[in-house]
Amino acid sequence: MKKILHLTIFLAVISLIAGGALSYFHNLTAPIIAENDAKQERESLQEMYPDANINDFKKISTKGIDSDTIETVYKYDNYLIFKMSVTGYKDGTVFLVSIDKDTKKIDKYLAISNGDTKGLGSKVMDDDFKNSLEGKDASGKLDTISGATISSSAVTEGINEASGYVDELKGE
Amino acid sequence: MNRFQSFKNGLLKENPVFSLFLGICSTLAITTSLNNGVGMGIAVICVLVMSNVIISLIRNITPDEIHIPVYIVVIASLVEIIQMLIEAYAPALNTSLGVFIPLIVVNCIILGRAEAFAANNGPLDSALDGLGMGLGYTLAVCSMSAIREILSTGGITFTNMFNEDQVLFSFQLIPDDFTISMFSSSVGAFLTFAILAAGVAWYKARDAKKAETKEVK
Repeated sequence: MKKILHLTIFLAVISLIAGGALSYFHNLTAPIIAENDAKQERESLQEMYPDANINDFKKISTKGIDSDTIETVYKYDNYLIFKMSVTGYKDGTVFLVSIDKDTKKIDKYLAISNGDTKGLGSKVMDDDFKNSLEGKDASGKLDTISGATISSSAVTEGINEASGYVDELKGE
Repeated sequence: MNRFQSFKNGLLKENPVFSLFLGICSTLAITTSLNNGVGMGIAVICVLVMSNVIISLIRNITPDEIHIPVYIVVIASLVEIIQMLIEAYAPALNTSLGVFIPLIVVNCIILGRAEAFAANNGPLDSALDGLGMGLGYTLAVCSMSAIREILSTGGITFTNMFNEDQVLFSFQLIPDDFTISMFSSSVGAFLTFAILAAGVAWYKARDAKKAETKEVK
């Protein structure tokens, strides 16, 4: 009885110390990590619309949206910019797509990261893929690269999904 | 002398990767570029040295029955702390290493050294052992990633880990038309690993033979 108590308390104390250290470092690094992410997102938005001022992008509420893939939505000029993360073959793809509010045409597409096999799924990062999307109707069928891969269809499906929310978010 | 010997052993003769065959999973997966190799190496050295020191400090009060869970708690917390620091200060490295940073927890080099060395030795010796083994691991991943990066991309581009836009050095050995992209895939990883491990085995065998003939004389 005494033995088991000793073991339990020892492990509890060790875990407590570990937990304390972890929360200390978490508090230390969390603001920096959040700042990094925000900076990266701002840079991506700016890359899409180099002429825009960073304050022109307004984050809009995504409360009404029940979607696993749409992370954040920005409003800029006449466009809605969706930050999406879709699952591909392995790690998935994170990208930004801006859709015209009225015509629902894809205005700009920007891939942020992709964890797929080099050469196959990673085509969603290439300019060819980007060019094949821009100007197309976001709600229609999107023919992209020949021999579509799991990643590229995940991206186009994501865009289709985003276009479904355009009407709903237009008024925000 | 003895201390230095155990430190030196980790580098080549008892190299954790090529000689003890520990922690190969991450070695095969992340060695696509020298940047990854160096980053992973440093992360492993930090975790290994600190876990060895902490485990050695508490070795006398750790009850035998629960020493494994205690070690795991210590190692996992250290890895988590390192990961948070990498994510905050070297986000590019965090993206390229991805899941392999948290997987350092199950890297058998670390638990292996805790069990085999730190549990029975003082903190200073344990720190040296951790440093030696960590450097051995770093040497292994760096040599593998250098070979793979040169063969698959033709050269090496080494950037500052804390600022990805700053290229520290970069060179091109092989013209673009002659690169072997296979070496960036897992096939290349296994081939590189096998050849280097064979090299270390040959070196060890030669050394042992020398020692043998000396004894006979």
